[in-house]
Amino acid sequence: MTNLSASETRLPRRRVLRAAVAAAAAVCTVVACSPVSNSGGDTSGGNQSAGQDSFGTPADPAAVKQGGKLDIALSAEPDALDPTLSRSLYSRYVFQAMCQKLYDVDEKAQVVPQLATALPTTSGDGRAVTIPLRPGVRFADGTAFDSAAVKATLQRHLTNARSARKSELGPIDGVDTPDAQTVVLRLKQPFAPLLGALADRAGMIMSAQALRSLGDNFASAPVCVGPFKFAKRVPQNSIEVVKDPNYYEASKVHLDSISWRILTDASIRAANLRSGDVQVADSVSTQDFAALRQDAAVSVLQSQSLGYQGLTINIGNVDGIGTAPKPINRPLAQNAKVRQAFEHAIDRKALVDAVFNGLHAVACSPISPASAFSSPEAQTCPAHDPAKATQLLAEAGVQTPYTVTMLASNTPDTLRLAQALQSMVKDGGFDLKINPVEYSSLLDEQDRGNFELLQLGWSGRIDPDANITNFVGTGASQNVAGYSNPQLDTLLTQARQAGDVEERKKLYGQAVTLLQQDDALIYLYRQRNLTAVSKQLQGLQVFPDGVLRAAFAGFAK
Amino acid sequence: MARYLLTRAWQSALTLLLSTIVVFVGVRALPGDPALALAGEDRSPEALEAIRRHYGLDQPLPVQFAQYVERMAQGDFGVSIRTGTPVSSMLTTALPVTVELSVLAILIASALGVGAGVLAAVRRGRPAEWLANGLALVGLSVPHFWLGLLAILYLSVATGLFPASGFVPILEDPVDNLHHIILPAVILGTGLAAIIMRQTRSAMLDSLSSDYVRTAKAKGLRPRAVITRHALRNSLIVVVTVVGLQLGGLISGAVVTEQIFGLPGFGKMTIDAVFQRDYPVIQAVVLLTATAYIVINFFVDLLYSVIDPRIRVTGDPA
Repeated sequence: MTNLSASETRLPRRRVLRAAVAAAAAVCTVVACSPVSNSGGDTSGGNQSAGQDSFGTPADPAAVKQGGKLDIALSAEPDALDPTLSRSLYSRYVFQAMCQKLYDVDEKAQVVPQLATALPTTSGDGRAVTIPLRPGVRFADGTAFDSAAVKATLQRHLTNARSARKSELGPIDGVDTPDAQTVVLRLKQPFAPLLGALADRAGMIMSAQALRSLGDNFASAPVCVGPFKFAKRVPQNSIEVVKDPNYYEASKVHLDSISWRILTDASIRAANLRSGDVQVADSVSTQDFAALRQDAAVSVLQSQSLGYQGLTINIGNVDGIGTAPKPINRPLAQNAKVRQAFEHAIDRKALVDAVFNGLHAVACSPISPASAFSSPEAQTCPAHDPAKATQLLAEAGVQTPYTVTMLASNTPDTLRLAQALQSMVKDGGFDLKINPVEYSSLLDEQDRGNFELLQLGWSGRIDPDANITNFVGTGASQNVAGYSNPQLDTLLTQARQAGDVEERKKLYGQAVTLLQQDDALIYLYRQRNLTAVSKQLQGLQVFPDGVLRAAFAGFAK
Repeated sequence: MARYLLTRAWQSALTLLLSTIVVFVGVRALPGDPALALAGEDRSPEALEAIRRHYGLDQPLPVQFAQYVERMAQGDFGVSIRTGTPVSSMLTTALPVTVELSVLAILIASALGVGAGVLAAVRRGRPAEWLANGLALVGLSVPHFWLGLLAILYLSVATGLFPASGFVPILEDPVDNLHHIILPAVILGTGLAAIIMRQTRSAMLDSLSSDYVRTAKAKGLRPRAVITRHALRNSLIVVVTVVGLQLGGLISGAVVTEQIFGLPGFGKMTIDAVFQRDYPVIQAVVLLTATAYIVINFFVDLLYSVIDPRIRVTGDPA
């Protein structure tokens, strides 16, 4: 690959883009880039072979009985049950049953209306987004769901000091409510990722009355629109919701209540599933997959994540995240050839097969093949080529073996991954040292810039902007690599503001080409969320957003 | 006695103050930032700043300490950074679970340990002693974690005799409560039972070979009375001391046991709080544990005089 490092390039934009596309095509001819195939797509229920998506099927109303309590074993505890403040992936599982959103995603990762009646209409200049609301809907406290409630929620998202939603909603200037069933969002500039955000926590509408009475303590008794309503929470242990009679489609709800129990150990979750104490276990270990598939009473759902796991290389984070990038005197940080060599030394397929029994999918870019924004360019993959790696190191004038220290979380899965990488990159001329640390410390070290190379991932969002810009945009909030490439920034801004899917696809394809040249972040694989479900239960589904959908499940008659 | 109590009281207060300082400084010396842990995936500098400001983590350490002591003096443990729940309400939920688990574990361990210890001493050199010694060795050597997993595998998954996880409050359904907690309590009690057995056995052997036991036998007392009323009573002082000293082991064992069985207790709360750097929860938990330690050791000292009248407690350290 050509050596096009972030700070070295100052060419006019169009020339750079043309050069980037041409370079990618040339590189693919020379070193045989292989496209990543989308192994997903099979959406049927039941046990599928390893590496095949299986999202589960909706419950057949004639085959399930009314009533019953569903127990779900969760691998981590959700944080505050407040859509404005929540930052944990696991709270989305609970919200799914009790806090519906303006929009949802379907099994094809497409946005579909939920509390809205149709997809939003955008004005010609892209700065006014009109959302029609579902009529006759009530919150769990009996109050009406209308445009005023939507406005109150969005304003809270935008103004609360601790809001985790503010950046997701982008440049909203104001919220208008022309009538009770219509909301108009006024934007300072066009913002395409808005729809994706409204299909996540930013689109969960809270009862205005509950917001008034509970204020910052909303999480103590959250009130939204949903098939279930909040009942009780035992911190660090369980959360329980019960069927909400006010729900607009209450007849479609079969269960009486759902309880999420926090069981952090994967083998304990599996044991609880087998003993019948729980009927669903999330985040099954790839190590337990084979045994659970043999179990006639259990089916395993597989859903490929929209996020990624990757390696971040520190190329300019000296004074901590959020500060201006500074040069780091290390070949890995200074020379893109060294980073490309590292990437060529990795055999992603072998890594996924050896460490995760082939269950996860190879990833070479931040855009999942399942995403509507995927393109052949976005799925280009630099080939495993140790000879090329040593050649690039020689061109960069680096002595081999070149020692690189990798910071990684001390979980068993990550350590196995790190050890496999260690032996793999040896052939490419690298001596990889592993520095395992506990997760909280890892985040701390990462943000301070105390690392050379680190392994971490991102769970993924529907809109690709949320999976890219925050991590590689100049000065972005999670750009821990201290990476900056003005050409990439321009592409990402254009993609944010483009209304057309095809145009955004093209721009993201070009962005991936630049990312693979600079290699500040080497994408490795995409996790497949594995959820084990008792066959007594029907209708449990897991979609590509990774969220477990239990609200319309029921026990078999 | 009053002087002794006073001395012990001020010593306890000093220990408590010192542990407050150690805990406060200690949790902040841990690498990792609670704001980062809370921010999860969606973190931006502004969000981190807002979290730190909200929880007062942006204040200088001495100011944070002063606020902490002031709140503690009013019985306010603060709010959990992770869940936003008041720590006091988390404690009132978690504490009864761990107390019940520990009390049950102590009762089971004492019954098993004292019984096996007495048996091993009385039947010295016979198969009963070998069996008791063997079981004690297993109890001491096998980690709670593994034993817990085995119990779940065989007693929950395979036979369905006990639930694999969960908890029902005793006031809600006492029978179901016992059904849920008995297995974790037995697992937690195994290590302690083994220690008690070893101590009881050696103390009983000492007592059985002493003059007063020979006198008791010579008086024509039945063997059962000699063992229970004379030898065992004098051996119990060792058992009481051991139970007091092993409380720390019991609490650390509870951390693991609660984690395996998904019990909403103190131990699980502690471990989750440490991983999340939830300062208010860690501080409250450690302080309460330290207080429990001090109080229990104080009562163990008092129990000495009840069990053995020869011990005349005075204020003199000598």
